Amino acid sequence: MTTLLEAKSLTKRYGQTIALESVDFQVQDGITGLLGPNGAGKSTAIKLFLGLLKPTSGSAEVLGERPYESLGVRARLGYMPEHDCLPTAITASEFLTHMVQVSGIPPAQARTRSADILRHVGLEEERYRPIGQYSTGMKQRVKLAQSLAHDPVVVLLDEPTAGLDPGGREEMLQLIRRTGHDFGISIILSSHLMGDVESTCDRIIVLEGGHVTEDGAVAQFTRETETLLIDVDANPEELIAALANRGVTAVVDGVSLAVQLVDEEQYDAIRDSLVETNSRLRRLSPRRHQLTDIFRGEH
Amino acid sequence: MARPTGELFDLGYQHYDGPREGRMRARKAVFADGFRTTLGLGRGSGAKVLPFLLFGAAMAPAVILALIASLSDGQLEVPGHSLYYQIVSTVLLIFAAIIAPELLCPDRRNGVISLYLVRPLTITDYVAARWLAFFAITLLLVYSGQIVLLAGLILSAADPFEYIQDNWLDIPRILAAGFLLAAFITTLPLAISAFTDRRAIAAALVIGLFVISAAASGILTECDGHQTDGRIDGQCEPITGDAGKWFALVDVSRVPTNVNQMIFDVQDEDEDRRIIEDLPKIVPIGWYVILTGGLASILLWRYRRITA
Repeated sequence: MTTLLEAKSLTKRYGQTIALESVDFQVQDGITGLLGPNGAGKSTAIKLFLGLLKPTSGSAEVLGERPYESLGVRARLGYMPEHDCLPTAITASEFLTHMVQVSGIPPAQARTRSADILRHVGLEEERYRPIGQYSTGMKQRVKLAQSLAHDPVVVLLDEPTAGLDPGGREEMLQLIRRTGHDFGISIILSSHLMGDVESTCDRIIVLEGGHVTEDGAVAQFTRETETLLIDVDANPEELIAALANRGVTAVVDGVSLAVQLVDEEQYDAIRDSLVETNSRLRRLSPRRHQLTDIFRGEH
Repeated sequence: MARPTGELFDLGYQHYDGPREGRMRARKAVFADGFRTTLGLGRGSGAKVLPFLLFGAAMAPAVILALIASLSDGQLEVPGHSLYYQIVSTVLLIFAAIIAPELLCPDRRNGVISLYLVRPLTITDYVAARWLAFFAITLLLVYSGQIVLLAGLILSAADPFEYIQDNWLDIPRILAAGFLLAAFITTLPLAISAFTDRRAIAAALVIGLFVISAAASGILTECDGHQTDGRIDGQCEPITGDAGKWFALVDVSRVPTNVNQMIFDVQDEDEDRRIIEDLPKIVPIGWYVILTGGLASILLWRYRRITA
């Protein structure tokens, strides 16, 4: 695994306000989620790695270089901001070709890269239309395309699904997964949406109050628990009673019944209770931890 | 039945392993984009109308003067290069006020500036490239007009070679005065555009500044109609007395033309405005340098502040 980004005792203060305090972490290949509530320090961390801010102390390194000191390394970085960043009067093709050149690539190659990447994000047909005529979803794709078109080693995406409807959101997440896994471009995905991070990232770094509170593989945070969830079509009360008769305590948990597993024999009791009450079983599965548990302190 | 002659393959994503030219390519790209934006290239046809209309308006005086010179066969005294700069400076000011904000305001308004800042480019590179793009077009405009006028004057002279021998000094004067005019006309509207992300407001501020400063200077340097004894060498005594010559500097639109007249060593046609000649020559030149340099510094300072 190659270390792409590294924070070493990274501190950033704005006057008396501490945005990041002596933070240490590394980001390797793959898709890494930067998770945290508003004001956690995510945007500050991204700006430090992009070279837009200088650390108060410590360092933020990209590929072993400090982007606020070395302009060269910025040519290997991509950035998709959360806010609007697109011109309205020119076409996506022209805009991308220009931005690729600003990343240091000669004009002829920039035109080819621009056409290729617009095809990859699904805007091949619309590339000669002014961006001002695009839908929100199409604009998000152009934003992603401009961050990828110069073939960066690592891309920082800031809330890439902001403002998208559920369909558009899923398409964007698929595109991100494809970029990270098929294109071989590493991604830092900053988001406050657990679902986005859980379904897309290989690893997460959680920031809270300017500190790293969690850092590890997503699977580590979503592993199975000792609670069994049972979903039935109807009559959960009858099932609860039948389970109680067999010494198994079940409680209503949303639309499911939750049973705390003590031993393997409980499975037999559940099977017999389902048969006795003639319940139609929809689901029987162990509960998994969710990323939201991190912020509830349940992890 | 047609037989297949080839196959299409989706090669998937291809990594780029060609040349990466870094900061210099980035600067060139911002410069070229500024050049195209100024002329409305790559935009809708509406964006091209105004630049080319103003370009035509700037060239028209040169063409007309050249035509008069050639049709009169040298019989008429045609105004020279100095006057062309004075005439065309008004058109250039309108051109700059309307078009220069297009180079800076939309990038901040649309948020594109945030994408420039994460590329191998400093904010000074960005501002300098935009400045140079507009400067290059303004320079092209003023020199084109002067070349047309010079060609007209040479061809209409009884002996073109003698005309060149007698007036060769006009060429370095044209180059120097055009350079200074273009530098001022580029810097002022760009500096004002750094304070608003709306083009219309920037244009209104630039034109407003010219109109108000010209009016203020006009009032402060106006001849005292009741005074008859103060006239010296065709000049009148301004109502503000001896301080009047200093108030002549207030007119922002005349800052480059004051220097232009010194370069061409000519007097202003307008008697009221000749009072500026009472000042030491270094004063209008110094004022030009302070104002242009100051505005350029403000432009850079403002951008460094916005992006900090």
